[in-house]
Amino acid sequence: MRAFLAGLLLLPLLFSAHTPARPVSYTGGWTFIEESDRQMSSALVHYTPAPSWSIGLRTEVNRESEYAVASIHPTFLAKRWFDRDYQGNLYIHGGIGRASGIRGNTLGEETAMYGGIMADWETRSLFAGYRSRYLDAGHFGDQFMHAARLGFAPYEGDSGDLHTWLMLEIDHRPEDEDAVTATPLVRLFKGPLLLEMGYNLTVNQPLLNFTYRF
Amino acid sequence: MNSKKLFASALLSFLLSQTLAAQEHDHHSHAGSGATHQDHLTHSDHADHHNDEGDAGADTSNSTHPVMTHTDAISDALAEGGEPIVADVLGVVCDFCALAMNKIFGQREEIAAVYVDLDTKALNLVLIPGATLSDETIAELAVQAGYRVAAVRRGEQALGSAT
Repeated sequence: MRAFLAGLLLLPLLFSAHTPARPVSYTGGWTFIEESDRQMSSALVHYTPAPSWSIGLRTEVNRESEYAVASIHPTFLAKRWFDRDYQGNLYIHGGIGRASGIRGNTLGEETAMYGGIMADWETRSLFAGYRSRYLDAGHFGDQFMHAARLGFAPYEGDSGDLHTWLMLEIDHRPEDEDAVTATPLVRLFKGPLLLEMGYNLTVNQPLLNFTYRF
Repeated sequence: MNSKKLFASALLSFLLSQTLAAQEHDHHSHAGSGATHQDHLTHSDHADHHNDEGDAGADTSNSTHPVMTHTDAISDALAEGGEPIVADVLGVVCDFCALAMNKIFGQREEIAAVYVDLDTKALNLVLIPGATLSDETIAELAVQAGYRVAAVRRGEQALGSAT
């Protein structure tokens, strides 16, 4: 079990900001989220005290700029739209913490803060999502990114079944050499587990996201 | 402080203030997820007494109401004599939604079996014999899970055998 948990915690260091599924859980729920993209790897553990917000601890590693950020990460569910066949959500997320150099980066430490919005709309077979974030890590640099996703489920699974989604994510990082990239991915859902596997076709980087809800 | 730092600071301050406000709101009203407590109770009251009108346009006419889904646990609990309850839930579209409902309702001692049917968007409950669980409590628990109850049916109506 310890090896399994250690493996989960190390996953972000192998890979790296995407649209996490349900960044606010049910009251009393804990969630572990690992995300990886073409620049960063991150791990977030959050607790949901009430259905409208969560609070967590997040660590992220910027592999390109060689610094890490450890932060307190609140997420506020600003609005949820319901109907029988769909759900839509608007979240505001952010964090504040310390950035520190890694892998020989001698820039020391600096206060870092970030914030952005996330939105999603989902039926049992269609998904659309958007996420933005602006990070200011002081002398380590700053970064704005946003990403949009579209997806569909080839079949509708019931409770406890394996749910499969096929998605395409387009992300935009204005300051990068490859400002716009595309990542097709597969999302697999089963019970408390969510796994996303994809590949960034523009910069040839894998995507691996994992969520476990306690 | 440059404009980017100012933007980040303002956004973070807004987020924290909204979070604290939400905490206060949740503490006092037990409502969340963008749904107001008043909306919720009003809806539940309708479901309780009239069983005729869903929120956000949900179709809750008797002819289209889903009936109880029989899993092994549900069937066993019914065989024990527990009261069947079926609640239409809005926004339950994924397995994480079902998980949230199972977690919240599964920890209640009044409930012998719980199953969320994503096909019918219905929360299926069977109480332990002799236990009671009000419509208002069911609606409140759904809010704690992050969702909203549109209608609640019990007994023969829940089983689909009402005449």
